[in-house]
Amino acid sequence: MERAKIKRHINGWSLISFVMVILILLPSVEIVSNLIKPVNENWAHIKQYMLKVYIVDSIKLTIAVVLFTVIIGVVSAYFVTFYDFPFRRFFKWALVLPMAIPPYIGAYTYNGLLSYTGIIQTTLRNKFDIAVNQKYFNIMSLKGAIFILTIFLFPYVYLITKSFLEKQSATLVESARLLGKGNIVIFFKVIVPISRVAIVSGATLVALEVLSDYGVVSYFGVQTFTTAIFKTWFSLGDVESSVRIAAILMVGVVFVILFEKFMRGRRKYSYSNTKIKPVSRKRLTGIKKNIVVGFFTIIFLLSFLIPTIQLLYFASLTYKRVLNSSFITMSLNTLTLSIMAAIVITIISLVIANYCRIHEGTLSKIISKITMVGYSIPAAVIAISVILLFVNIDRNLKWFYIMINPNSKTLVLSTSIFMLFFAYVIRFLEVSYQAIESGYEKMGKKFFEASRLLGQNTLKTFIKIDIPMLKPAIISSIVLVFIDIIKELPLTLLLRPFNFNTLATRTFDYAADEMLQEAAVPAIIIILISIVAISFINRVDKE
Amino acid sequence: MNRKIKLLSITSALLLSASIFAGCAKTAEEKAPAQQKEQVVNVYSDRHYDTDKKLYEEFAKKTGIKVNVVEGKSDELIERLAREGQDTQADILITADAGRLHKAKEQGLLQSFSSDIVNNNIPQNLRDKDNTWAALTVRARVIVYSKDRVKPSDLSTYEALTDAKWKGKVLTRSSTNIYNQSLLASMIESNGKEKAKEWAKGLVQNFAREPEGNDRDQVKAIAAGVGDVAIVNTYYIGKMLNSQDQEEVNAAKKVGVFFPNQDTTGTHVNISGAGLTKASKNKENAIKLIEFLTSEEAQKLFAEANFEYPANPKVEAAELLKSWGDFKRQNIEISKLGEHNKAAVEIFNEIGWK
Repeated sequence: MERAKIKRHINGWSLISFVMVILILLPSVEIVSNLIKPVNENWAHIKQYMLKVYIVDSIKLTIAVVLFTVIIGVVSAYFVTFYDFPFRRFFKWALVLPMAIPPYIGAYTYNGLLSYTGIIQTTLRNKFDIAVNQKYFNIMSLKGAIFILTIFLFPYVYLITKSFLEKQSATLVESARLLGKGNIVIFFKVIVPISRVAIVSGATLVALEVLSDYGVVSYFGVQTFTTAIFKTWFSLGDVESSVRIAAILMVGVVFVILFEKFMRGRRKYSYSNTKIKPVSRKRLTGIKKNIVVGFFTIIFLLSFLIPTIQLLYFASLTYKRVLNSSFITMSLNTLTLSIMAAIVITIISLVIANYCRIHEGTLSKIISKITMVGYSIPAAVIAISVILLFVNIDRNLKWFYIMINPNSKTLVLSTSIFMLFFAYVIRFLEVSYQAIESGYEKMGKKFFEASRLLGQNTLKTFIKIDIPMLKPAIISSIVLVFIDIIKELPLTLLLRPFNFNTLATRTFDYAADEMLQEAAVPAIIIILISIVAISFINRVDKE
Repeated sequence: MNRKIKLLSITSALLLSASIFAGCAKTAEEKAPAQQKEQVVNVYSDRHYDTDKKLYEEFAKKTGIKVNVVEGKSDELIERLAREGQDTQADILITADAGRLHKAKEQGLLQSFSSDIVNNNIPQNLRDKDNTWAALTVRARVIVYSKDRVKPSDLSTYEALTDAKWKGKVLTRSSTNIYNQSLLASMIESNGKEKAKEWAKGLVQNFAREPEGNDRDQVKAIAAGVGDVAIVNTYYIGKMLNSQDQEEVNAAKKVGVFFPNQDTTGTHVNISGAGLTKASKNKENAIKLIEFLTSEEAQKLFAEANFEYPANPKVEAAELLKSWGDFKRQNIEISKLGEHNKAAVEIFNEIGWK
């Protein structure tokens, strides 16, 4: 009996899952091991002068951004799914586009737009002779950071909620409509509760993005946990204390995750019907139509069109100087790396998610939560621990390298692209896992169980049943990770091998030297590539 | 069903090619040292200018030594250097601040080198006393003022900016920035910790707004009338005056450059410089590169393209810089900026300079 139980737990799936989880945890071990050490003399200083302010600002920022992204994301997903209005098809697609703009680029752009030398103020000044109070044009503040992070992160909530509503809610909403319930009642009593899982997983992604953001907050001078980590680490030269702060941040993240679990509750929505019933949309007319179209137009302008036009203008000033053959090589580098990493990460999360859903229990719950670890630690901290890990691996493998090549240097893996690749896996597994997991959740276990009953093994079921049914989730996982990697900055900066540049690092290089106009060229290319990737998701969704 | 199998095979093919790709990267790297033909020098650099890239190409043409570069922020590069220890591939560390070079030296990551050429090119006060690093360029952190609202005769020293008459008029960027940290570190060195703290406190009380943005933003804020004076690095003024964006040029034209502390301690200067790593595997090539970068030929390019002051005194500064006139530089050992960095950061935190 016992043996059978153990045997049931040990198979290829569990092995791969365990190995992955251990690999993910390895770099964190060093971080956690620092926590046991007693506090040093800097801690009092940090606690008194830094932590209080930073905690308060971090919490304010996170709560505000989550709140606004959920409102915008859910409301727009709702209207796009259940109503018909002019340009609906366009907006449905266009609201995903802000994902193509990394928030740090958005921050540079908006500051360029609103600043004293930006287009708005110069037009007012030169054409109309109006000098404005700088106070009203100041975006570099906590409020500004909330604005920037909201408009560029809400698509996470929008996308996940929309794809849930499209597939799962038609019957429920129609029943409610038949029962004579009003739109507002349906929204709060039906839509919000049933899409809770989707909304919360979108909101969790947003919260984690905000907590680990460094680009926007450091540019705007907003002081958050990440600022504190970097300040302590670099300015005070105190790695131990900065790790301690990172640990506090991780506690915060655990709260976010627990909150997610709590919101999900025990209820699972599993559907008996494989056919997805298309939603019948209500046509909007009159003032309601105008309000809805106006809402979508404003969101689209702010979160995509305005910043993109600004960047295009900047790029038009400088592209001749910036574009050359090494720029093209660099773009190709970026593409290859991002696509390959996205695929590998998706495969890993498929394996882990499949294992976790088959073996429900504490262990699998823990494993599925560990995928989040990488997303919750600031990238720079991951980077340093990954370097340490790889330098250790290399030193231990030296005999092997020398066996192959007597003149081999010691640092082989850690000077290759492999190290960066590995760090991407740690960092973005969560993004992919969320997509795959919610795909599985939607599917329920019925088909799996049916297939097993009909005598297929787990692998066959996985290939013949799960993967085809999960296709939309798989594709959105690949594309989401791809977009994340193409924008990724801190890991790439720290872990790249010699002479390796990506579009994001080039953007950063220019922006760090206060050359915003030059930075616009690689930034625009990042955005274009991401748009192509996003329209790909969209096409698959339609199929 | 066929399509599904196809999908799976494509995925597995990609996975396979990914691992081969990783493997290839490895073997390619392994082959390089075996041949020992290609001469290289590996650089970790915090300078991201196109000028630098041109200079590396020039160097390769001249000597046949290829320059490999990893760019990053200096703190992170130093951390990477430390973690890689004696196995690092890096031969040279270039940072945009003396304090960071000092930090690397303190951590035992740099080694002394003796080169008559470098010693001849770069004056002693712009080199480490143990010759682990040498300056490439010099930057001055000055006061810029509104030409409309401030007479240069109203200005004298950094210290005088704490005077009540500047209340609500002083602009500067965040204290997380290394340039401000090094400025305060220099004041700790010349005036003592207590005085330096008083100064920082006084300056915060005179702030026109909470610190935000970079040096260029402070210049724009003066043009916009948010404040009257700002503490910025000179080369940003040079870059703004030569910007593609006419509005930036206009904003920069509205401010004047003032070199403070001419009658006292001298204007605060910082450097960007290159150090030789302790674990350097291509020491000779590395020294050759530093020699080249400090040569008159290379220094001219630094001076003209980037509006920094050349570290080599034989090379003249750009016309624009010369038009601002000569000035007395702060006469402190430049490595002190690194020694006092931590104290400076603590003061900023305590007095609440964001």
